[in-house]
Amino acid sequence: MSVPRARLLDLMKARCELFSTTFNPEGIRTGNKILRQKLKGPALASYYPRKVLTFRDFYKEFEPLNLMIENEEEIDRLDHVAALKARGKGTPRKKRTADVVPKKK
Amino acid sequence: MSMFRAKKFDIGCFANIKTIRDHSKRKAFEAAEPERQALRYIIRNTTLPARTRAIAQLQLTQMHCYTRPTQIRNRCILGGKGRGILADFKMSRYNFRLEALAGNLPGVKKASW
Repeated sequence: MSVPRARLLDLMKARCELFSTTFNPEGIRTGNKILRQKLKGPALASYYPRKVLTFRDFYKEFEPLNLMIENEEEIDRLDHVAALKARGKGTPRKKRTADVVPKKK
Repeated sequence: MSMFRAKKFDIGCFANIKTIRDHSKRKAFEAAEPERQALRYIIRNTTLPARTRAIAQLQLTQMHCYTRPTQIRNRCILGGKGRGILADFKMSRYNFRLEALAGNLPGVKKASW
């Protein structure tokens, strides 16, 4: 027992109306599958953990309370630089612009 | 491509130039994703005129390479390595092993049978 195609199409149409899907009996590619895809940008962009608080923010927050705040890493770095300078191994001084006069040919 | 880089450094984990670059690519892709999807829709839609679709194809290929999802690669958040990454933990296999053995990963246990 075969069912005529027109009748099958009617059934399909009714079904599409009922379940609110697109009626597309020829199977034409309308690209709707692209529109159905979820955006994955936010998930990808949150891969690396973000910087939450820097020492400077922390300092700014507690400055008005007049509390003693020490940044140990910064103190260590300054000590290191001072030690280098004492040995004469520090970074060279910046040239003054007044000293650098281009030679005239 | 420094124009995609954040003006203020914003990665909280281990960072080297490769992770910073990857992070910039991720953010660039996130910003351009709606546009890319719109172009992709136009390209795939066979009911639109061929000329429109060809223009959309050109536009999509001419977008900056940083906005492409294929440029993104998972990197280790502890060492920045690009290979042997366990995506679930965002770590390279060796760092994963160290962390797991140290008991820093909840629910991870060394198998033995």
